[in-house]
Amino acid sequence: MSQNYDDDMLVCRCEEITVGEIREAIRQGARDVTGIKRRTRAGMGLCQGRTCEKLVQAILRQELCNAPEEISAATPRPPVRPITFGALGRGEVE
Amino acid sequence: MNSFDVVVVGAGAVGTSVAYHLTKKGFEVALVERGDIASGTSSHCDAVALICDKKPGIDTQMGYASIQVFKELAKEFSYDFEFHQPGSLYVCETDQEYEVAADYVKQQQADGYAMRMVDPYEMQEMEPYLAKDLVGGIWTEPDSSMSPYKLCFAFVEEAKKLGLKVFDHHTVQGIKLNEKGSVEGVITDRGTIKTKRVVNCGGPWARELGKMVGLDIPIFPRKGTILISEKTARVCNQKVHEFGYMLSKFEDINFKRNVSELVEKHNVAFNIEPTKADNFLLGGNREYKGFDINTEIEVMRAIAERGIRFFPIISEINMIRAYSGVRPYCEGHLPIVSEVEEIPGYFIAAGHEGDGISLSGITGRMVAQIMAGEETDFDISKLNFSRFKGQTFADDMAE
Ligand SMILES: Cc1cc2nc3c(=O)[nH]c(=O)nc-3n(C[C@H](O)[C@H](O)[C@H](O)COP(=O)(O)OP(=O)(O)OC[C@H]3O[C@@H](n4cnc5c(N)ncnc54)[C@H](O)[C@@H]3O)c2cc1C
Repeated sequence: MSQNYDDDMLVCRCEEITVGEIREAIRQGARDVTGIKRRTRAGMGLCQGRTCEKLVQAILRQELCNAPEEISAATPRPPVRPITFGALGRGEVE
Repeated sequence: MNSFDVVVVGAGAVGTSVAYHLTKKGFEVALVERGDIASGTSSHCDAVALICDKKPGIDTQMGYASIQVFKELAKEFSYDFEFHQPGSLYVCETDQEYEVAADYVKQQQADGYAMRMVDPYEMQEMEPYLAKDLVGGIWTEPDSSMSPYKLCFAFVEEAKKLGLKVFDHHTVQGIKLNEKGSVEGVITDRGTIKTKRVVNCGGPWARELGKMVGLDIPIFPRKGTILISEKTARVCNQKVHEFGYMLSKFEDINFKRNVSELVEKHNVAFNIEPTKADNFLLGGNREYKGFDINTEIEVMRAIAERGIRFFPIISEINMIRAYSGVRPYCEGHLPIVSEVEEIPGYFIAAGHEGDGISLSGITGRMVAQIMAGEETDFDISKLNFSRFKGQTFADDMAE
């Protein structure tokens, strides 16, 4: 990953987080996608990181000079797709 | 790794507050954490600092004092941890609950706290989407809210400016004692740090850190689950919870709710909390299930069912995620904040159960006072570890 991203490039569209904000989170000690999420909200919006997670991992790799397999992905959390509280409360889910 | 005045183990709300307050007092401090900052329970929870869910006496006194600490720090810190003070509302489903609630409020008012009973009309004004059949509630003015993990980041970033050294991704494997039995160092997987004082801020894992020096610390994991909504128009304006919540927290409060088997089985009590990100968190439950933080579908179902009973409007709103965490439950409900007599230099600040965010401010302040040999803001002899002297606990004690 030799590509150099611009600081003001948008990474997470749902929460409007830029490359610069991701770099700052890494400076503060973030080492993985979850650490970035908590510091910036990247990946916490409606799409739950489906769009930006790969890019966040690439920036982490670039900044930390890690091998790809060392950057862990975010912890997958249920549900896989949004569901209304009504449907859930009535047990319309397996 | 060189040597430090104090090593704080665990970078949750409690450990980061302790580290900040000690650094501010002038101690040279190392904060050791096996994962990232706030990777334990302090990022798997809600974020309210309440007095309304505390028992009258020292519990409430600490809660109130802690809110004052956060208020000051929110002004001082350049790192924003989203502190705000919207108040909170307890709602009663039955006349019987209302009576217990009124009694409780009387005691708190006698101690000088700004809590009062509200009638259904006022409740509807405060929370227009609340179910219409409730009999009344309690409004607590000083109750506050913040981001729990931003609070941890704020303590760390502000303390770093004052000289705090952070050793994240370092796992503590042992505590070194000298021939007299006093603390001499902290052994991690990446080297040993010399120190004469260590503070165990391990939250639900405090028991393991105690075993390293032969201590039997009665702190056990008590699981809870939270559902997160999509971004929505405002559903509620403050923390709202059912008074029956007190029942799920304290086993000695006696009244039975008229709830489904599922809700009863998982000890679910409704609470809802708006966040700064324009969504809401819906909880919650209390169960002893070891350290497992997988989220169970049946529990999610029960929480949703109970939530709809109080805020029918959420029926049509999407849940986008759910998570679980383990509260550090301490035998007898009060946390441990003290030095350990048997092991000079070994301190414990842990076991805050469902109030660790809430009480982190005052806990850090008091640990710094204890260590500096100053008098604490108020009498905390009830929080001394020596109260468990002579007792032994099984690992599955709480179950
Ligand atoms: C569902 C839920 C909702 C909640 N809601 C609220 C609320 O609204 N308000 C409130 O005040 N509280 C709430 N709580 C409780 C609150 O989250 C906890 O009391 C608080 O987070 C405990 O903080 P802590 O710093 O003691 O523990 P933690 O945040 O768990 O920190 C302990 C740290 O120690 C580290 N550690 C452990 N062992 C080692 C080792 N050997 N070496 C190095 N590091 C180690 C861990 O990695 C961890 O980061 C809630 C809890 C849950 C589960």
